[in-house]
Amino acid sequence: MQLVDFFTLLFMLMGVVSAVLVAFHPNVLYAAVALVFSLLSVAGLYGVLGADFLAAVQLIIYVGGIIVVILFAIMMSENIYRARFRDAAGKFVIPTAVAALLIAGFLKLFHDAKLETRAGLNAIPTTEQMGRALVGPYALVFQYVAIVLLAGLIGAVVVARPHHGNPESEAEKK
Amino acid sequence: MLAGLSTNLGLYLGLSAVFFAFGVLTVLTRKNAVGLFMGVELMLNGAALNFVAFQTFRPGTHDSWLHGHVFSLFIIILAAIEAAVALAIVLRVFAARRTIDPDRATELRG
Repeated sequence: MQLVDFFTLLFMLMGVVSAVLVAFHPNVLYAAVALVFSLLSVAGLYGVLGADFLAAVQLIIYVGGIIVVILFAIMMSENIYRARFRDAAGKFVIPTAVAALLIAGFLKLFHDAKLETRAGLNAIPTTEQMGRALVGPYALVFQYVAIVLLAGLIGAVVVARPHHGNPESEAEKK
Repeated sequence: MLAGLSTNLGLYLGLSAVFFAFGVLTVLTRKNAVGLFMGVELMLNGAALNFVAFQTFRPGTHDSWLHGHVFSLFIIILAAIEAAVALAIVLRVFAARRTIDPDRATELRG
């Protein structure tokens, strides 16, 4: 058994267990902590798959940035430590059936697809190739993403700013 | 027993299917706007993992561009934008309603 197989198994088990916890843990704060572990497992699988740059990006942006945003939003919600964020157990039946059907459908699809695989790791590190791709065939997409990022940031500032003249905002001040 | 585990494309695809399905389940069952957002993040991660797995196990000819990696990078960037906008909306809804329960912020419902 090679070391890489061991780490693949480890990250996959970690991903499945933490994904189950994200969906089913009654407390949304602990679900967020489970989400950290599932994002970490995806970062580890990126590493196993030879995507070293993406593994670093996943760690920096997801685990370092988005999780902080999620935890900050959770801290605002009232009664964090009371398990009142979930429905009655009966309301879980149909969504769980939908999720089980999704998994079964995907697995059947992958099983029937007769995927031809050829294990070949790309040259590591991938940073140089990523940079060349971003200014080569993907230059236009890169610019579009930059515009979307700018628009998203401006939109976030506009939405989050207190609205003057809005009667509800005026009522909050008093 | 575990030999060849890391070079089995089906395992990665199955794991990303599990991520996607549990993301859908989270979105369907959470009673919290942040919980919905976490489900969306899980779904995006499953899709991005698929791109990287297919890039590594690509059959046939391959050029030197890392197409799958670039698409996963774009997915991560768009998820970051989504996080910023979602937090802004959650802040506004919380300031106006003192709650982030999506079942109680229903002014826009027809």
